[in-house]
Amino acid sequence: MIRRGPSGLVAVALMLAVTLGARPQGYLKLGYRVDGKNVAMKWGRLPVRYFITDRGVPGVTSNQLQTAVGRAFDTWHGVSTAEVSSSFVGFTLANPFEDDNMSVIGFRDRPELDRVLGATTFLVDSVTAEILEADIFFNSAFPWSVASGGETNRYDLESVALHEIGHLYGLGHSAIGETEVRPTGGRRVVASEAVMFPIAFLPGNIEGRTLKSDDTAGISDLYPTTTFTRRTGSISGRVTKNGKGVYGAHLVAMNPATGALVGGFSLSEDGTFVIGGLDPGPHVVRAEPLDDADIESFFQDAKKVDIDFKVTFFDRLSIVPRGGATSQVEVPVKPK
Amino acid sequence: MSAATRRMTRILAVLAAAVAAVPAARATVLVPADLGDLVRGSQAIVHGRVVDVTAVWADGRRRIDSLVTLEVDQYLKGDFGERVTFRVPGGQIGRYRSVMVGAPSFAEGDEVVLFLGARGPSIPYVLGLSQGVFRVVEDPQTNARLVVPPPVVAGAEVQPVRRGDSARRPMPLDRFADEVRALAAGGTR
Repeated sequence: MIRRGPSGLVAVALMLAVTLGARPQGYLKLGYRVDGKNVAMKWGRLPVRYFITDRGVPGVTSNQLQTAVGRAFDTWHGVSTAEVSSSFVGFTLANPFEDDNMSVIGFRDRPELDRVLGATTFLVDSVTAEILEADIFFNSAFPWSVASGGETNRYDLESVALHEIGHLYGLGHSAIGETEVRPTGGRRVVASEAVMFPIAFLPGNIEGRTLKSDDTAGISDLYPTTTFTRRTGSISGRVTKNGKGVYGAHLVAMNPATGALVGGFSLSEDGTFVIGGLDPGPHVVRAEPLDDADIESFFQDAKKVDIDFKVTFFDRLSIVPRGGATSQVEVPVKPK
Repeated sequence: MSAATRRMTRILAVLAAAVAAVPAARATVLVPADLGDLVRGSQAIVHGRVVDVTAVWADGRRRIDSLVTLEVDQYLKGDFGERVTFRVPGGQIGRYRSVMVGAPSFAEGDEVVLFLGARGPSIPYVLGLSQGVFRVVEDPQTNARLVVPPPVVAGAEVQPVRRGDSARRPMPLDRFADEVRALAAGGTR
């Protein structure tokens, strides 16, 4: 087991976890600031080498955990327009969420992380901008299942692993999803078109094992194959309100031919957005406020996000060229 | 209606139908809470301003957390004293920065309403990672102090939480406090 104590740590440059504003694309990417520049949280060297905790929970053995996590990695690796890879090193007695230079995936009891099924942490070196490790934890306070068809009243481990591995590779959250609130209390997801949507599915559901267009666009942008940029295109423009840019508007591009939805955000003060990884052809573009969400789950600077405007469609189709960009898509929105 | 307008109307109808018809319930990470869940689950609900953020080693010096201290303006539930310190995952010590995706971050001067949990004699924590964090901002036009995001409040029937709904706008701090106090007192909303 590789372990490094904290005594050898040296104080150096400031680094912040931020959602990248420097190169906005169709989904949020994780990033941090080094020397005044935003750096994408992505692995410089692949494959990602990870360990699995040698501990199960009721209903899931450590071997079953390793198998489910392996399937989830394989799902990401199966995206033909992205180049990502991982390598299972072995089982370990180490825990996730310990800063020990090992990327560890496993169960852990963290009672203070109530309502959190799983989470991903990074340890980053601010001098080299290198990811030293990324851990994924699954909250052992919840009931888990690895049954092929799901299991009533148990959360599907592979679905949650797929989401967390998306973070591990550097993807932030997607906002392509809707919820409802029940009179007895509690919210539930009623629709989602992205594995990276941050709100939990109901126990027993296994649909989160399948990546959607928004997920594949995101991973392909971070780790593109040589053909990705030639085959896909983008839509860019601005969201404005009373003539000024809107920060934090959620944009969705929908391909009427396929129904594929790819999301993005205006990530600049001037309301500029870019939605990448789109199939060539006509798209409908819609701007909407992130007023139903836990904004902090998407943006570090949540206070800056403007949620006071009405849903607005761009007034004509945007034609995405193969390997090119459609620009100047101006979406003027009105206050509520 | 022109042909172009009719075509656009059809496309928008297709989009609306597609968004509404996608299969139910997937995605991960958080078990979502409405305002009532947060009120019921919290030991204290506090409005105040952040006066200190300090990264510390935790878990036997194997993990970095941040201890955040809040100067209390008012409690909407419970009472942890004039200043309360709570723990959030992640922080920076030296050259190393530990980041938990989706965890809230705080800076000195932040004005917030927090839903805090606590288990036994331990440092409090924010409920639901970032779900228990509401920011207080000032409306530049009216100078009114508003709470974001708008809370999700259960009603008498199942309600879709629709983006762009004119009712979903930042809520005045006083009204938010009244809603929370009513729920804490056992109200049904």
